[in-house]
Amino acid sequence: MSEGMNRRRFLSVLGVTGGGAAALGACGVGSEPAQKLIPYLIQPEDQVPGTATLFATTCRECPAGCGLHAKTREGRVIKLEGNRESPINHGRLCARGQAALEGVYNPDRVTTPLARTAQGTLEPISWDNALQRLGDHVKEARGKGIAFVTGHEAGVFGELVDEWTRGVGGRHVAYEPFAFEALREGNRLAFGIPAVPWYGIAGASYILSFGADFLDTWLSPVEYQRAFSRAHSFDASRGEAEAMAKFVFVGPRMSLTGMNADEWIPAAPGTEGLLALAMAEVIVRERLGASVDVGPVRDLLGRHTPDAVAGAVGIDAEAIARLAREFAKAGRGIALAGGIPAHYPNGAEIVAAVNILNYVVGAVGKTVQFGPNSSVDMASSFKEMVDLVADMQAGKVALLLVQGANPGHSLSSFMQAWSKVGFKVCFATMLDETASAADLVLPDLHPLEQWNDARPRAGVFALQQPVMQRVWPDARQAGDVLLALAGKSDTFKDYLQSHWRAAHARAGHAKSFDDVWNEALQHGGVYTDAGSQSVRLAPTAGHIMAGAPAAPAFDGNTGDPVLVAFPSAALYDGRGADKPWLQELPDPVSKIAWHAWVEVHPETAHKWGVVDGDYVLLTSPFGAVRAPVSVTPGIRPDVVAVPTGQGHTALGRYAKGRSFNAFDLLSGAANGYGGRTFAVRVAVTRTRDHRFLASSAGDPRDVGPGEEIIRVLPLARAQQLKPGDHPFLQREAPEYAEPALEGWAEEQRKKANLGDYAGPHPRWAMAIDLSSCTGCSACVTACYAENNIATVGEDLFVRHRQMSWMRIERYWRGGEGGEPVRGVVTPMLCQHCEQAPCEPVCPVYAAYHTPDGLNAQVYNRCVGTRYCANNCAYKVRYFNWYNFAEVGGEHEAWPAPLDWQLNPDVTVREKGVMEKCTFCVQRIRGAQHKARLENRVVHDGDITPACAQSCPSEAIVFGDLHNETSRVAQLAADPRGYHVLQELNTKSGITYLARVVHGEEA
Amino acid sequence: MSFPNPLARVFRPPPTPGVLAVFGHLDAAVDAVIALKRGGHQGFTVYSPLPRHELEHALDQPVSPVRMFTLIGGIAGCSIGAWVSLYMSYDWPVQVGGKTIGSIPPYVVIMFEMTVLFGALTTLLGIGFNVLLAATHRGTIAYDPRFSNDKFGIFVPVAAAQSGPVETLLKGCGADEVRRA
Amino acid sequence: MTMTPTTAPERTTSRVTYDVVTRTIARTLGNPGRGYYLLLGTAVGLFAFGVICLLYLLRYGLGMAGYSMPTYWAIYITCFVFWVGIAHSGTLISAILFLFRSGWRTAVYRVAEIMTVFAVMTAGLFPLIHIGRQWFFYWLVPYPNERGLWPNFKSPLVWDEFAIGTYFTVSTCFLIMGLIPDIAAVRDVATGWRRKLYTLTAIGWRGTNEQWRHYRPAYLYLAALATPLVLSVHSVVSWDFAMAQVPAWHETLFAPYFVAGAIYSGCAMVITLLVPLRKLFRLEQLVTVHHFENLAKLCLLTGMIVCYAYSIENFVAWYGGPTPERQAFWYRAFGRFWWGGWTMNICNAFLPWLLWFKRVRTNITALFVIAFFVNLGMWMERFVIIAVHLAGEPFAPFVRAGYNATWADWGIMAGSFGWFFMWFLLFVKNFPSVSVAEVKEELPPPRRAAGKHA
Repeated sequence: MSEGMNRRRFLSVLGVTGGGAAALGACGVGSEPAQKLIPYLIQPEDQVPGTATLFATTCRECPAGCGLHAKTREGRVIKLEGNRESPINHGRLCARGQAALEGVYNPDRVTTPLARTAQGTLEPISWDNALQRLGDHVKEARGKGIAFVTGHEAGVFGELVDEWTRGVGGRHVAYEPFAFEALREGNRLAFGIPAVPWYGIAGASYILSFGADFLDTWLSPVEYQRAFSRAHSFDASRGEAEAMAKFVFVGPRMSLTGMNADEWIPAAPGTEGLLALAMAEVIVRERLGASVDVGPVRDLLGRHTPDAVAGAVGIDAEAIARLAREFAKAGRGIALAGGIPAHYPNGAEIVAAVNILNYVVGAVGKTVQFGPNSSVDMASSFKEMVDLVADMQAGKVALLLVQGANPGHSLSSFMQAWSKVGFKVCFATMLDETASAADLVLPDLHPLEQWNDARPRAGVFALQQPVMQRVWPDARQAGDVLLALAGKSDTFKDYLQSHWRAAHARAGHAKSFDDVWNEALQHGGVYTDAGSQSVRLAPTAGHIMAGAPAAPAFDGNTGDPVLVAFPSAALYDGRGADKPWLQELPDPVSKIAWHAWVEVHPETAHKWGVVDGDYVLLTSPFGAVRAPVSVTPGIRPDVVAVPTGQGHTALGRYAKGRSFNAFDLLSGAANGYGGRTFAVRVAVTRTRDHRFLASSAGDPRDVGPGEEIIRVLPLARAQQLKPGDHPFLQREAPEYAEPALEGWAEEQRKKANLGDYAGPHPRWAMAIDLSSCTGCSACVTACYAENNIATVGEDLFVRHRQMSWMRIERYWRGGEGGEPVRGVVTPMLCQHCEQAPCEPVCPVYAAYHTPDGLNAQVYNRCVGTRYCANNCAYKVRYFNWYNFAEVGGEHEAWPAPLDWQLNPDVTVREKGVMEKCTFCVQRIRGAQHKARLENRVVHDGDITPACAQSCPSEAIVFGDLHNETSRVAQLAADPRGYHVLQELNTKSGITYLARVVHGEEA
Repeated sequence: MSFPNPLARVFRPPPTPGVLAVFGHLDAAVDAVIALKRGGHQGFTVYSPLPRHELEHALDQPVSPVRMFTLIGGIAGCSIGAWVSLYMSYDWPVQVGGKTIGSIPPYVVIMFEMTVLFGALTTLLGIGFNVLLAATHRGTIAYDPRFSNDKFGIFVPVAAAQSGPVETLLKGCGADEVRRA
Repeated sequence: MTMTPTTAPERTTSRVTYDVVTRTIARTLGNPGRGYYLLLGTAVGLFAFGVICLLYLLRYGLGMAGYSMPTYWAIYITCFVFWVGIAHSGTLISAILFLFRSGWRTAVYRVAEIMTVFAVMTAGLFPLIHIGRQWFFYWLVPYPNERGLWPNFKSPLVWDEFAIGTYFTVSTCFLIMGLIPDIAAVRDVATGWRRKLYTLTAIGWRGTNEQWRHYRPAYLYLAALATPLVLSVHSVVSWDFAMAQVPAWHETLFAPYFVAGAIYSGCAMVITLLVPLRKLFRLEQLVTVHHFENLAKLCLLTGMIVCYAYSIENFVAWYGGPTPERQAFWYRAFGRFWWGGWTMNICNAFLPWLLWFKRVRTNITALFVIAFFVNLGMWMERFVIIAVHLAGEPFAPFVRAGYNATWADWGIMAGSFGWFFMWFLLFVKNFPSVSVAEVKEELPPPRRAAGKHA
């Protein structure tokens, strides 16, 4: 059985598709709507009201294609969790993936076909009518130009679209605003293979990222984050040298990924490639790397010595040489190129240069493997999109169909050409910018209601199945519509199965197709290993970076700061903006939610005389936006950065009309390698306006470095620690007084253990390894989903009234006097103190201590004095200022059908009560009941709180402290372990393991 | 109505015959009191707009029993405070902050407050009770509004027949006016 | 009691007789003028506005007020402590000074007492207003219920409830006790419906020797009980904060510090109320400069204690060394709310030094101005301790944030002033606001031969 797979889960997954076939039949792939709370007539035996059923499917929120377990209760999906069998995410899931739930239940979904009337409004029409119109237009448009724009499609639906477009003589453009052209092109230049390889970060001992934000948005964040924490989290057991990989981040801006680096090299924008070449040069010259043939690039490297590039890059030659030597000596190093650098005008060359570095150091074939290639390159290049726009402009497109993409938001030229198109059809779940301008809008099914499949990378075939009765019975899957259009009688499910049947036949599988199919449904797909292929440097590699080493020229007037637009960690290119969970998720770096911002270096801000929240006008050759300043040390002084994703003019109540759209500043033309450039020089003018940033962080003047909260150890010191050491333990009392105090405490405990408290009990506790935690915030969204936490909206967020039980605290350190800037993060949640300050002050026992060590909050008893929150030193108690569940109320958090996502196991809190982390008490009790039914004790690992379950870097461990063999007990005894604010003698239940960094300062 | 009201005796006691003297001067009233006592008069009533020690010395009455009310009330309050807080803690033991279930120090506050509360209330009770009691066996006696302003007064309960000598005695002591009531 | 009449003349002009006292005080009752109705109208208006704000709060939730994490307590609790503080001088003057036999109290203690009772009435509202589910406030009361749940007597809030409840009851008893002989006095000169009212409320007082015999010791015992109560109430209130571990709350100094502060603000408030009252009711004969000077001395004393408390808590924060404590006091002085810290320092710790000068103490106008600023300063002190130190809570630096009060905060605060003054104005026009009997105790009794003692 695959790792991380335990019997319980396995059974419940199995349960799905045995009788689940029946369940699915009933669970309505048919268009017949069922108006019952439990939407099936004959209850399938595996569907027990009150117990969850898991459906294995695939996440479609980004091209990574993580495996999902959709947790359904009484036929409704209430939570998305990672599929432990998936080789991509191994049971982990990011915030965006979990928020897909709010895509299904979004209150602003398209529920019925809409057609543009003569008055120019969209009015509901019947499906027959809609199909009729569509059919007619297809007929008349034949030959006059038909185009189908989809999102990234690495599955059968993509093939159907190809087939269909071929049939009608049109073209298919798979549009991704952040396509990875540079990777493809860079690999072609370097190795002659236009593919995106597999990166073995987990096995690396030295990670060098040239802007690749592999922890937040690059390629497959969950997979890479898990791999990264395996390589980079401190583990003394791996021995002196292997204890912890070093991570160096090169890039103009400290992203979430950069924040986790041991060293941040803010190279001048566009010179990352030069740096890579210079390092390669050192490695070759000093024969530090593998014995590979560097013929094709010999004189290229000759032209790029450290001294030659130092000026342009902005780092002195010694530093470059040092990096090169470290990198080579580390043995299994890996260099990644991506993120913003891969969207510079010279992005492809940068990628190629980094490939050369990988090649000369001998990483290619080891940590970088071609063969299990990613499927992200199945997205069309930006150039193809630009060509389409040109044709639209020229009136060469009579019929345009859009599905799963929203170019109307990310590409203004597309909308300018829009009107020139004869007839525009959108298959849409939401009325986004594109759909709301269409002539015909067809309500599409959300991926969680669809049949489909995906190939995240070669060898991985992920299946996608409907996990519940469709929310809006009148919606239809685009695939079904296309088939109907083509006059086929069968559904898209049949089409999908036929493809799989064919594949099955080709593979000559031993098992029958039905078995294979059912297993695939159970396990979320078929997972095989694609063999790797060896590659050699291509001659083209030598021809990159011709000319003197220098930064590329960016659009805009020289002298202006370079603006880089980066994909928002929560909203990505804007597809997440309609989900309140993601809107309310503070950005991992800036901690800002609900609006976009522009990052400015403190020096620059001082020069311009702006402070946090001041609006500046950013003017690029292509557009202008007004943006509130967020001053941050994690950026080059000559660079400003803005996130994409906000500034929607449609896409429902949560997205519409929020701050500005970063894409407006960007060129609509394709660059040298057919990609889009996400960097441009902007003129910055200060305005009089000001706003309060909706930041979960307090006033920067007051926050400080948080030394008391986050402990950091230099690697050297961490390695000296022996079991039994307690570097962070502070003695409150003198040695000689300890026994007396202990005795007294023991007396107190005896006196307190009456009634329910008598006898042995577990002590639930948690351990959080800060050397693994990256601050990605997946746990935060998981907590929202599991515990029915209300989203409060921008206005209340500004007033610091968010309810997030779990918050990721981010502190800036260093920066002054030339010392390196470092961002440190920690999850902060209820510490479930043994001697909790919040409890005794409650006049009505609403806050009290359970026998098993939980710090309970009885919502029904709470009168809302808020004394507990004042007395909580960790400030992890949150108050219901309004009735967030009030239907139609100003602050309603779950407008129908969003309320369907509520977890039936957790109370929805009333106005005026205090709430806080419960250690997912419903899961604890669930596991205890289960154990009782199975007549056994609760085993370590039976209970996983939502945060721990989702954590891609496996930083959170939960269990019983009284059980010495439990993992949490062992971690609690780790020498790196410490309690936050231990001096208050709260006997906190959460043990933090100090963060470990390479280098001296801590 | 013929139906007898049991409380009537308490709140509307039957009138008592007697002599009422009004004094403009304190020392005159004091002399009168002394004279009356020397004359063997009992249960006469002295009115004064304010408490004066001269009068008290002259009358020298027994100490008021009110203090017993206060004392008992205080003790009762203290013990009720202790009982309430301790009983209610052990009635349903709930752990908070790892503290002992029934911990005395914080409950001292409750005990103290209850002591004061009950002490004060029983004191009020005491004075009301005593004054009422006195009133009932004195009966309704004559009064003059000036007694609350600037005059002192003495009422001697005597049957109309024997009131002659009393009147002369009071006049002799310097009463501004003396009348039968 | 040992009241030597020789001490009397210097207090009040010897022309003042018992009769004059009764008349002067009786004159203050009834036939209010237009000005009075104007004031009363304003008070009632403010109160009504406060009620409207409260209704909003009840309907929509506490979000209407300006709270923002981590400032979970703010204006309402500030007002609560402020009003409780005001309530202190009353019982102090009437009980403690009574035990100390200081005669000058007689002229002013009634005003102080009614101020006390109404201030506690006002203060008592705020804990109910500020909780999240106001409709469940009674869960704090230990009453038998089917849930079998009792309140948590370890919680300072429950102590508070007991302390405030007791204080309100006892000070009300005290007020009524003192009132009875005086009501009787005005009853005998009043006419019409007022006479009926006073007859009823005097509950048969006639000043007989039997009544005085029980009355005087009873009053003494009440005073004896009230004296520790005064000191305890604000101590308990201070423990709401001192029992918590918020830096700058968790101080052993708090009880005396708060009590002194309370009496300080109370006396200031007495002056603030008495100065106009004296003018309007033409009580110059009874309430003389001498009384104000004594009040001022009381202010000076308590003010000095407060001044000491301020300096010592800052000193200990620096000398004692815990970083959070230092950060908290640094934040008070130089944080974003520096203005609050300095207002309280200047008004409460520096201003009273003026009272060392007799010329200031005997200048009614100066006293009035100083008293006003002391009131302001004391309100600010509570605001700083509660809202500011929560906003700047150093344990969890990440969430330290600002705080902006809203109309709901100010509205309900204004309402509380309206409520207080409504009762105060209603009282002073209908019941003797200066004690009749006790002022007479300060006068030489009428004798046939003056100076001759009985």
